[in-house]
Amino acid sequence: MSQVAAVRGDARRVIGREAVREAGAGDPGWLRARREEAWEVYAATPLPSTRSEEWRYTDVAKLLPLDGLEPAGGGAVRGTALPHPLRRAMAQDRESAGRVVEVDGRVVSVELDDSLAAQGVVLSSLHEAARRGVGDIEALLATRAVPASDGKFSALNAALWSDGVFLYIPRGVRAEQTIRLSRWVSRPGTATFTRILIVAEEHSRLSFVDEILSPDFDSATLASTVAELFSRGGAQVQYVSLQRMGRGGVYLANQRTLAERDSTLDTLNVALGGTVGRVDLNARLLGPGANSDMLGLYFGDANQHLDFNTSQDHVAPNAHSDLLYKGALDGRARGVFRGITRVHEGAQGTDAYQTNRNLILSDEAIATSLPNLEIEADDVRCSHGATVGQLDAEALFYLMSRGLGREQAERLVVLGFLGEVLSRLPLGGVVEKVTQAIEAKLGYV
Amino acid sequence: MPSNEVIQGLGLDDYKFGFVTDSEPVFKTRPGLDAEVVRQISARKDEPEWMLKRRLKALRIYEAKPMPQWGGDLSELEETLSRTYFYAKPQEQMERSWDDVPESIKQTFERLGIPEAERKILAGVGAQYDSEMVYHSLKEEWESKGVIFDSIEDGLKNHPELFRKHFGTVIPAADNKFAALNSAVWSGGSFVYIPPGVQLETPLQAYFRVNQERLGQFERTLIIAGEGSRAHYIEGCTAPVYSTDSFHSGVIEIVVNRDAYFRYTTIQNWSNNMYNLVTQRALVQQGAHMEWLDGNLGSKLTMKYPSCFLMGAGAHGEILSIAYAGDGQHQDTGGKVIHVAPNTTSSIVSKSISKGTGRASYRGLCKVYDGARNARSNVECDALLINETSRTDTFPYIEIDEKTATVGHEATVSKVGDEQLFYLMSRGMDEAEAMALIVRGFIEPIAKELPLEYAVELNRLIELEMEGSVG
Repeated sequence: MSQVAAVRGDARRVIGREAVREAGAGDPGWLRARREEAWEVYAATPLPSTRSEEWRYTDVAKLLPLDGLEPAGGGAVRGTALPHPLRRAMAQDRESAGRVVEVDGRVVSVELDDSLAAQGVVLSSLHEAARRGVGDIEALLATRAVPASDGKFSALNAALWSDGVFLYIPRGVRAEQTIRLSRWVSRPGTATFTRILIVAEEHSRLSFVDEILSPDFDSATLASTVAELFSRGGAQVQYVSLQRMGRGGVYLANQRTLAERDSTLDTLNVALGGTVGRVDLNARLLGPGANSDMLGLYFGDANQHLDFNTSQDHVAPNAHSDLLYKGALDGRARGVFRGITRVHEGAQGTDAYQTNRNLILSDEAIATSLPNLEIEADDVRCSHGATVGQLDAEALFYLMSRGLGREQAERLVVLGFLGEVLSRLPLGGVVEKVTQAIEAKLGYV
Repeated sequence: MPSNEVIQGLGLDDYKFGFVTDSEPVFKTRPGLDAEVVRQISARKDEPEWMLKRRLKALRIYEAKPMPQWGGDLSELEETLSRTYFYAKPQEQMERSWDDVPESIKQTFERLGIPEAERKILAGVGAQYDSEMVYHSLKEEWESKGVIFDSIEDGLKNHPELFRKHFGTVIPAADNKFAALNSAVWSGGSFVYIPPGVQLETPLQAYFRVNQERLGQFERTLIIAGEGSRAHYIEGCTAPVYSTDSFHSGVIEIVVNRDAYFRYTTIQNWSNNMYNLVTQRALVQQGAHMEWLDGNLGSKLTMKYPSCFLMGAGAHGEILSIAYAGDGQHQDTGGKVIHVAPNTTSSIVSKSISKGTGRASYRGLCKVYDGARNARSNVECDALLINETSRTDTFPYIEIDEKTATVGHEATVSKVGDEQLFYLMSRGMDEAEAMALIVRGFIEPIAKELPLEYAVELNRLIELEMEGSVG
């Protein structure tokens, strides 16, 4: 498509200052200024190279031709009919308390349960919310959680984001059913920049599922996502990211969770699609009694490259974090897990756990695991573990002795291996959907 | 929380080896490093031309490589090196009898208990004082079986072909900045050859002593273990406490041939003003077995990761690492196992204790190359924290390119628990005894692997540093 545009002689949009101005057209002054500042940070920050510890195994210069990408979300989306794969994925979701649909970087619909709206819950296109200056949005957007100063891609997103979700849930309000973001990227060679800002006030409760889909692309197509998640005292928040892009998709996510006193802020990252996936997740435990369960599941095949860079920052004493990332790697896929638990000075009474397990299913797959600990307090309980192995021969033998064929038995063992992660955060619809997606992938084994 | 007096009472921090000996080197280079200094070292050693060329090339590599930005704090190292003596020759020639070693130097080693240990239980002893070996001897029994245990300089002189075949092949100069530095200015260290089938029943020991203030010690050791041979080499290090920082950067190359067994033990107990940046690596051939026993108790900063390259089918590599980081110390240690061949196995066990403002970091690599079928590796790290200000880190790298590999890594961090102390004290122990018992229990799995019964001097060290006198 981009080639066609070039042949027609259209001025093709590129990632640059002009795109930042376009993205900010109609924004309030503070936001335009914030975008400009973010662009300056982006321009001044070198592209991460494999010489930096955090990008050691992901050569982004090679995997993502940034200069050739066209920023999406510039114009209005034509037509209202949602693409079939997105409709099918939405139909699979069981109950929902609300849903935002985003196509090519623009929110096309927002629905919210009436009773929640009546209790003061705000679910909005981020673009709209920012324009209207809803709540604390000016104080919280790209400031405390994922500011531009975080890194090259956080800065790029802060400069160029076109839309996303703003979700605010007032004190004591409990959304029993899941609120969802369903996203679709359709155009090859584009770069989509989405942001999610969730604020859960004291003793509120919510679960949020962000699902992204796309067709297969023949050229690299970027979906950049920033998630800023705040849970105030005693709140309970669950955030799930389902990455199911097609081939050619490059998914870059920067997520930060800020958990205050006695709150729970759990995350689940599921990476099944795309050619390149990179998630940077930082959980900050800011108050005593804060708790973050951090779950991850990845299944790579063909030439997929899936990289997770997680960190658990225990700033306050007596907080708890528990990470479990499990991956299966087939074909020529590469899985990278780098996790770090940091127990800061004074964070006594910390409980922090970190586990990464990998299953290698083919001769050419590669798993890399770097589970790190940095401990600056003495009264702590911390552990980490990592394993890399192949299918459990005993489990296979057992299943085959019960009459299953080898392939069937292998499928079951892989599903059981990855299923452990899902069983720890059993949100409505997620388990079934992910299980089906894994089964579909295993069909090619 | 145990009181500070109780922890002091354990004697972990009493450095008993900090005395200075009044002796002047017979020659030393001027402070700092350049090609001229390298030429002088080479000339003093009366080396063949090829070695000088190698040294000069290594110097260029050293100068071109940037200072590592990871691991410990090396920000003041450049300054330290600019006023370091890179070579200080202690005496004109190496001796084969303690009687011929200058009195003051001999006394130093007497105080460290070396001649006594030699008489009692060692197969051979080498003693390095500043930049060169002052003493080397091997018991007649082993010499007659063709064992070579010599200073590295004599290895080059007397066994030029064997030396040249292996020197720099396990750790080339370009491996890392400090390997390059060592390759340029190496001096002292051992040359060891164990003929095929020869099994040494008692260990060889090399003892490294730095006496001169502001000295850089760059020992270089090359060990070739012949097919089916068996031997154990022990290295010990101490230095006086000076107000200025000193520098030690060794390179240890080991070739463990088919079905051989080799164990290399280090008890590093440098004074707390020493930078200790060492590269140790073994190539382990088919069916061979290599063990690194790495004890790091002293130094200001140690960066050392003994490695096993498992090159032949069925090779086995083992690394046992123990680190004690007291006030102001940083032990950045661990191990690397690289599986190249099928059915290779390895294990890394690391235990550390951080006390006061000490910091113990485990850093390690487990790499399994495609084709190393059925490789198995297991890594376990335990860290014990004693004070609120103590720090520990764990940085493992696991890179697996082989489907049939099985690899695991586990680490735990804990503090000496009030509950454990309370329990032991309720059983009638006083606090000091209880604390000592907990620390001892923590270290024991490794301490018991040390050949205490073989080395009086080692025994003393372990007693002083780890077990401590209670109360």
